[in-house]
Amino acid sequence: MTSVRYDNATRTYEGTSVPAVDALDLDIGDGELLVLVGPSGSGKSTALRMLAGLEPLDGGSIRIGDRDVSNVRPRDRDIAMVFQNYALYPQLTVADNMGFALKQAGVPKEERRTRVREAARVLDLEPYLDRKPKHLSGGQRQRVAMGRAIVRRPAVYLMDEPLSNLDAKLRVQTRTEVVELQARLGVTTVYVTHDQVEAMTMGHRVAVLKDGVLQQCDTPRKLYHEPLNLFVAGFIGSPAMNLVPVGDERPLRLGGSAIELARPGDAALAEISGAITVGFRPEALQVGEGPLRAKIRTVEDLGSEVFVHLSLEHRGQPLALVSKMMPPFDGEPGDSIGLQIIGATHLFADDGSRVVSTTATLQAASAPAGVASDASPAAP
Amino acid sequence: MSDGPSPRVVGESRSVNGAFGLLAWVVGLAYFFPVFWMVLNSFKSELDANASPKLFFHPTLDRYRDVTKSTTGLLSFGEAFTNSAVVVLVSTLIVLTLAIPAAYALAIRPVAKWRDVLFFFISTKFLPVVASVLPIWILAKNLNLLNTRMALIILYTGINLPLAVWMLRSFFREIPRELIEAAEIDGAGLKGQLTSIILPMAAPGIAATALLCVIFAWNEFFYAVQLNPVQGSTVPIWVTTNISTRGDFLAKLSAASVLACIPVVLAGWIAQKRMIRGLAMGAIK
Amino acid sequence: MNTTLGTRIAPRPLGLSESWRRRLPLLPALVFTILLTQVPFVMSIWYSLTDWKVVPPTPRQFVGLGNYGKLVSDHFFRQAAWTSIELTVVPVLGSILLGTAFALLLDRKFFGQGLVRTLLITPFLLMPVVVGLIWKNQMFHGLYGVINWVIEKLGGTPVEFISRYPTWAIAATLIWQWTPFMMLIILAGLQSQPGDVLEAAKVDGATPFGIFRQLTLGHLRPYMELGILLGTVYLIQVYDQVAVMTGGGPGSTNLPYFVFERSIGGGWDFGRASSYSIVVVIASIIIATVALRVLSGLLKGEEIA
Ligand SMILES: Nc1ncnc2c1ncn2[C@@H]1O[C@H](COP(=O)(O)OP(=O)(O)O)[C@@H](O)[C@H]1O
Ligand SMILES: [Mg+2]
Repeated sequence: MTSVRYDNATRTYEGTSVPAVDALDLDIGDGELLVLVGPSGSGKSTALRMLAGLEPLDGGSIRIGDRDVSNVRPRDRDIAMVFQNYALYPQLTVADNMGFALKQAGVPKEERRTRVREAARVLDLEPYLDRKPKHLSGGQRQRVAMGRAIVRRPAVYLMDEPLSNLDAKLRVQTRTEVVELQARLGVTTVYVTHDQVEAMTMGHRVAVLKDGVLQQCDTPRKLYHEPLNLFVAGFIGSPAMNLVPVGDERPLRLGGSAIELARPGDAALAEISGAITVGFRPEALQVGEGPLRAKIRTVEDLGSEVFVHLSLEHRGQPLALVSKMMPPFDGEPGDSIGLQIIGATHLFADDGSRVVSTTATLQAASAPAGVASDASPAAP
Repeated sequence: MSDGPSPRVVGESRSVNGAFGLLAWVVGLAYFFPVFWMVLNSFKSELDANASPKLFFHPTLDRYRDVTKSTTGLLSFGEAFTNSAVVVLVSTLIVLTLAIPAAYALAIRPVAKWRDVLFFFISTKFLPVVASVLPIWILAKNLNLLNTRMALIILYTGINLPLAVWMLRSFFREIPRELIEAAEIDGAGLKGQLTSIILPMAAPGIAATALLCVIFAWNEFFYAVQLNPVQGSTVPIWVTTNISTRGDFLAKLSAASVLACIPVVLAGWIAQKRMIRGLAMGAIK
Repeated sequence: MNTTLGTRIAPRPLGLSESWRRRLPLLPALVFTILLTQVPFVMSIWYSLTDWKVVPPTPRQFVGLGNYGKLVSDHFFRQAAWTSIELTVVPVLGSILLGTAFALLLDRKFFGQGLVRTLLITPFLLMPVVVGLIWKNQMFHGLYGVINWVIEKLGGTPVEFISRYPTWAIAATLIWQWTPFMMLIILAGLQSQPGDVLEAAKVDGATPFGIFRQLTLGHLRPYMELGILLGTVYLIQVYDQVAVMTGGGPGSTNLPYFVFERSIGGGWDFGRASSYSIVVVIASIIIATVALRVLSGLLKGEEIA
């Protein structure tokens, strides 16, 4: 029964004034695979290293299970860590690398051997046990690093971008293997990545960091459909959500069209003052028939889906939008084409927080202001 | 310092490069000439050595026999080499024993103000030995350490320690930090980290450091002559006192010089790449 | 958003045991170095403020700065100080120039490059005492010296270098021994020069000489400074070559040798000898201050330890 709890945990590096991790509050359940995600420099590694005991806390505390480990040395925390560059001991064989921690702990040789063999079998490493790391391929090294963690049977696994040195195909394949392995072992795991696809596909829950501050921690589905703020909305999902600043005019307008919100959105809109940003994902933007005209910039046909990059004039400036369409699609760059919003639409207030998610449609340009402003008082 | 020259771009003609190569060879040989001549002289008879320079002569090992058997000096060849070997090896071992943990504290788990400490170490190299030789002489005299190996062992440890700390630190810094962290998480303490990760990985650097300590200690003359002019003295003293300057002595001097220099020169040649790198890093990083 | 910026907790210092655990490995080396360098140095300062002759034994008397007052009018001291300057400046400049030239020669691929480097570093590995003796007796000697043999072959008259030009003879010997050291430092600098910059310059049409003047020299400057400073600090302490080549003979006594002469070497005047050594220290401290500034400039890139 091992949960992990960050309580207001803060770390400021010497010589810097801004905390690399700022008052982090995070609960990780027993057996959970929690992914920490964020852009480079957002403090993911720092947060993980704080849990490992490699960075001291400047404030707050960290608990593993029932124990406050804030001042406990790394080796006494009962954790195992997989590093981005694997950190294999170059002068030791694969078997010795995997058995290193057991040896330090004074586990008898026989038991060490059986446990290393067992882990090697799970990871298909048995033929390589006598090799040195430098004679292994990248994927094999990665598995040795995993193996070194597994052999120890620790209470928590920490993994800092363990797949980022693999090529794309191997990365996708290994991703699945890691998830299966974690599910089988049922050990609480904190997994760091900068790749939001990896985060969404692997995590039971995903915690999004930005500038050392936790933005949101939720299931992948909730992060995708109910991002708490603009940052999360823009960071999660690929291609990114279309985010259109619409200012403080009412009704809301996109290019020459008015955006008509469904009821709950309309009501919420009445409550907000100040500039608003409207967000809708590429799959919520339909290209073809529609009241708003835009120009096609490029078309990315991936076979299973087509991304159409569009450009239109919005509030006097060019605005880029992306639409995700089902093939076949036969527009050409330069074509002028109609747009319509057909899915969830989010409104973000001035401070970046999401106010409401609703559905919206674009109304023809010829009905200036009238339709929407008529509609809004009628809303309640 | 990486191996080999920095990359030259195409465009420099072969003949230009060839000319530079030839020049380098001429310069190298000319520069080496005094050493070459010393070695040559050591195989001559005194007569040949003192006649006008000649390349061809009847080579003999007699001068080597002379100087190793000679008793004109204060101490014999055997005594001098034994003393030097003991003093150099023991002081180098002590240096490593003290410097390795210190370099660990400065490179891997930096203590607060590590930079000041590092500067303190290197700044002691800037304190001339003449500034301390008189008090040291008096201390040694009062402790009855004059003319003992112990005095030199202590002093040579002191001379080499700062450089060793400085060099080892730069070698230790090249060990990826994750490796040490991994070992730490895996349960290794200071001793475990040192023996299983740091020492094996930094072994070449440690060897280079040790070699430099050996060279400096082997060649040291000032303290040796101040504190140990008689017994317990080392090879440099043997070279300077063994040869009577009356009569012809150039061949004998050359033989003694070759013997005195050969251990360190050979070691330096064999380990030169690593040592150069260590010296450059010790001096620059 | 969950920013609770209000509740910043004061940084918690490392536990006492932790900070001591980190410091402990450093202590033996630090204590040893302090005992062996700082303590005698302080004692030297104290000696230099006393009138203290050991032979014949006289009671030690505190005389304040008296010894330093006498320095100014002491002809022998002034002579030794001047020789010290000569024996530092000339070898440092000579060896840095030669060393740079050698490094430039070695910094290109040619047949037997490693062997030539081996030849060139050998003088640095030789015992300084041997270097002094060999140059004195084999190179500079009036009768048997190789240099005089060449001079005679060219029709000149032999020169007694050691007795006629003792300081220059020592300086030349020092240059020979120290050039490899400078060469190694410069070579390290040359090889740390990023190749892509050089290639970019070539592509941009720079001539080899232009590249050298505008890029390489600028890049080498800190290395040359470092070589000069380290060389200065070592060479100001030179004793071995003086002792074996001239024994402080005509005008070649530098300060370290002078200190020795006036104390253990027979003078036994520990008070005044100490004041000479403190002068050497002051000169070194001035050099070292500059040296450390350069070093810390080179260390700047290492903030994250
Ligand atoms: N040892 C360090 N000293 C000072 N600042 C650091 C150190 N390590 C990381 N940082 C800074 O802390 C912030 C967070 O870094 P990190 O946790 O490594 O980010 P991430 O892993 O998300 O890319 C960055 O701004 C980084 O520059
Ligand atoms: Mg990171």
